[in-house]
Amino acid sequence: MMLIPCPFCGKRNESEFIFGGPVVAARPDPNAVSDAEWVEYLTIAPNPLGPVQEKWWHARGCGEWLTIWRDTRTHDIVEAPNGSE
Amino acid sequence: MSYDIQITRQSLNALFDLKGASAAIESWAGNALPNLPDQPNSRTEKEAVELYHIGRDHWIARAPVGQEEALEARLKPNDCPADVSIVRISDTLTFFRVTGSQAGEVMAIACPLDLHDSQFGDDTVTYTDLFGLKALVMRCKDGYELAIEQSFGDMVEDYLARATA
Ligand SMILES: [Zn+2]
Repeated sequence: MMLIPCPFCGKRNESEFIFGGPVVAARPDPNAVSDAEWVEYLTIAPNPLGPVQEKWWHARGCGEWLTIWRDTRTHDIVEAPNGSE
Repeated sequence: MSYDIQITRQSLNALFDLKGASAAIESWAGNALPNLPDQPNSRTEKEAVELYHIGRDHWIARAPVGQEEALEARLKPNDCPADVSIVRISDTLTFFRVTGSQAGEVMAIACPLDLHDSQFGDDTVTYTDLFGLKALVMRCKDGYELAIEQSFGDMVEDYLARATA
């Protein structure tokens, strides 16, 4: 079980939320990047061993979308790594 | 195991969904409503009209169904400015009361909220997960009140009966 911090409601049970996938890079201009970079953007989802930034939707709560950093090794919600937002 | 509780399904309430910044809602409908609750997931009340702050720039006004027309006349949903949305939703939610000495134990089966007084006070009102459904939960005299999308009413009545049988 995870307690996910909602900016409106505070910490709430995971079952109130729907997973929205990892936060991915901003969509590049397809004409300005190589084919390899474009394929990478389309097909590669972040899947690190360690902190990953994820989107969650408080669907059975206030309706807010939020992002958290979760450590894939421990399942803990953690601080953003240095240099990240 | 059976529990010392009563489950009461209510008849309709007058309900209005309000969206918009608090200042915009206050200036359009302030005198038809209680003071806007300033804390997230809290409620205020004035003259049998309750106001629930259930999301960012999102509120629900509730009154006895007999006041529906009068409240609608004061909220004027069809005339409100573009930065405010008011929609009558009276027939979209079904309310139940779960009351009695073991109401808290039954609510602990139904939803994952921390219902201790220190976390969930008399003025708390919030959406949560109730038997997997989105539901509004708050305290009432001798127990808790919950509201779910009306088409799930029979199902939730059955869930509550099974949880407490
Ligand atoms: Zn929330």
